Amino acid sequence: MVYTKKSPALFIIGLIMLAIWFLASNGMMEGYIEHLAAGKKYKYLGELTTLALYFGGISALVGAWQWFVTPKKGDWDYYSSTIAGAMFILLIAMLVRWFVAPEVAWVSIQMGKVGDTGKYIHKLLGLNYIVLGIVAGIIVVNWFKVPDWAENGVRLSRLGLKTGVILLGTLYSAAELANLGGLSIIMIGFFVLGSVGMVLWMGSLMKIPNSMAGVLSAGMGVCGVSATVAAAPVVQAKSVEIAYTIGTILLWGVGSMFVFPVVGQLLDMSYVQFGAWAGTGILNSAQVAGAALAYQPDGIETLKVAEIFNITRVLVLPIIVLWLAMWYVKREEHADKVNVGHIMIQKFPVFVLGFILLFALSTTGVFAPAKHYKGKYFGNTVDTGFKEKNLLKEEQIVSLQAEIDKIQRADRKDAVLRLIENRKIMSDTDDAVIRGVINAKILSKDLNHVLKKAHKAVRHQAKMIKAFRKWITWLFAFGLVGLGMQITFSSMKQAGGAPAMIGGVVGLTKAILSLIVVIWLVSETV
Amino acid sequence: MNSLNHVLLASHGTTGAQAAEQMAIRMCTSGAKLHHLIVVPNLWKGMTGDDWLNNGSTRNTYRRYLESELGREVDEHCERISKNAEEKNLQYSSEIVLGEPEKCLINSSKKATFDLVIMGSPRPKGIKGLRSRMKTESLTHALEIPLLIVPYPPS
Repeated sequence: MVYTKKSPALFIIGLIMLAIWFLASNGMMEGYIEHLAAGKKYKYLGELTTLALYFGGISALVGAWQWFVTPKKGDWDYYSSTIAGAMFILLIAMLVRWFVAPEVAWVSIQMGKVGDTGKYIHKLLGLNYIVLGIVAGIIVVNWFKVPDWAENGVRLSRLGLKTGVILLGTLYSAAELANLGGLSIIMIGFFVLGSVGMVLWMGSLMKIPNSMAGVLSAGMGVCGVSATVAAAPVVQAKSVEIAYTIGTILLWGVGSMFVFPVVGQLLDMSYVQFGAWAGTGILNSAQVAGAALAYQPDGIETLKVAEIFNITRVLVLPIIVLWLAMWYVKREEHADKVNVGHIMIQKFPVFVLGFILLFALSTTGVFAPAKHYKGKYFGNTVDTGFKEKNLLKEEQIVSLQAEIDKIQRADRKDAVLRLIENRKIMSDTDDAVIRGVINAKILSKDLNHVLKKAHKAVRHQAKMIKAFRKWITWLFAFGLVGLGMQITFSSMKQAGGAPAMIGGVVGLTKAILSLIVVIWLVSETV
Repeated sequence: MNSLNHVLLASHGTTGAQAAEQMAIRMCTSGAKLHHLIVVPNLWKGMTGDDWLNNGSTRNTYRRYLESELGREVDEHCERISKNAEEKNLQYSSEIVLGEPEKCLINSSKKATFDLVIMGSPRPKGIKGLRSRMKTESLTHALEIPLLIVPYPPS
């Protein structure tokens, strides 16, 4: 069988990307870009004049080849068949990131702030390129259908997300990973076991079959659809039970992706708190990443926290599947025997090894010199090379002193007082605490900006790490648009019956309890 | 009433469809042909949802399992109708297709000369089951042979 479809589609995609590059690099989009920027600096001009050229060129060349040359069977044909779909996803991600999301933001700003929230509607609802990209994917698959020539490539979105997670490994310090890992093990351990147990208990009360209780508990408890896929054959779930479970989880997941960021905004949660809450409370792992990036589209601190929780979940998955298999065998005479080794090996998420490897490599200083982590710029003064222009200005100090009583916590107040005294941040610890003040948005907008500048003046980032952050953002954007193309209304419509009821109760309980725990126990920085 | 020689039966084994099966068998003359169409709805294609954490091996195991489950259900269903058809000396044949129910039925109706198409009524509200319905309006516009929709059996 030949997989590559003879179609002009990829060539046309290439031409569209090249047209964007041509118009942007020749200043022919200036008026439109000015409109999108809404008085600020348009952030994506660099991408418009580089990414659109590189990927447009590749797409046009490969597209012309696919259109005019008859492919032959073989490995190259198979790999070649994925390019059109991958570029299709990428084009949607580009259009949404560069044009649609800024346009939505512009409209939202014109509409004014919402009530007394002090926020624009697009900020409140997290309507940024990530969420809009997922929505675009959902629209494509449900209204237009994924074209034949793109089907193979759409599956590459999983690879994009996994590569994104692997690259995330370069961004954690050992202390961050230890703190986040510990927190996620406690939170996920408690909430996974709690929700699996709650589903099994409610299932026995409602007298649903063991196979349905088994598959539903995995989906509700661990990582949504992925856990359902892993557990369904083990607990011998019936087809209709799988459909009910997946429908319920997808409906919850997509709903959560919109609701969680709104709640997070209304409660002014810090990035760490929101990441921990999304990582625990959202049933489906794809929407955890979506919600994290929806909450903080221009940075990846929230994603870093949320993905540690996702990784913990997926590491727990083989154990829970094994447990459910044993639970099922005890209750059903006709159940297959459990092969512990087979389950543990088959369900082990290999990509997590890549994450660990890159984390290990980054701690050796391969990607960034150690001084970037040690904080070369913390201890120095103007005499030892710190730029005077980066010191706090007199008027900024006066403003900070005027608002300092807004800060309640002693450690935060002390850190800001030390900043005022030295006119710069002098230690890694103070930097972490001040980041907490920034995230908590305690001070006025202008002073938050001053604190951000003070943070940036001491926290320098290696070029390679900066590049990784950009790639990660793109890989997640690409992956999530592609995953959006795999969320069908016909699957979501299957939500119903006992699974929907149990799922509703367990999902809501988990979301509320984890919110309380996060606000109560999780500090604003790690 | 039982004078039909070639009937196309659309049934996927639900209660409403089973009423249609019984009606189809009743309406056929002895020795008539009964062609049974089973549509596996497109919704099953989306049943890996947005899973991305699992590896290829786990996803393949799941797909094979789901296919075998659906296959087992279809086999049981066909076996039951085949047995009932045999008792009335009908020539039973079956066809399994993946797609949108009404489109598959329209396609199938064009493959041979049928006297009648028989199908069940949609499930009444409040009764559990998968949400995949035959769009009768587009079906009635496109079908070129008579269609009989059998009422849902009283509970």
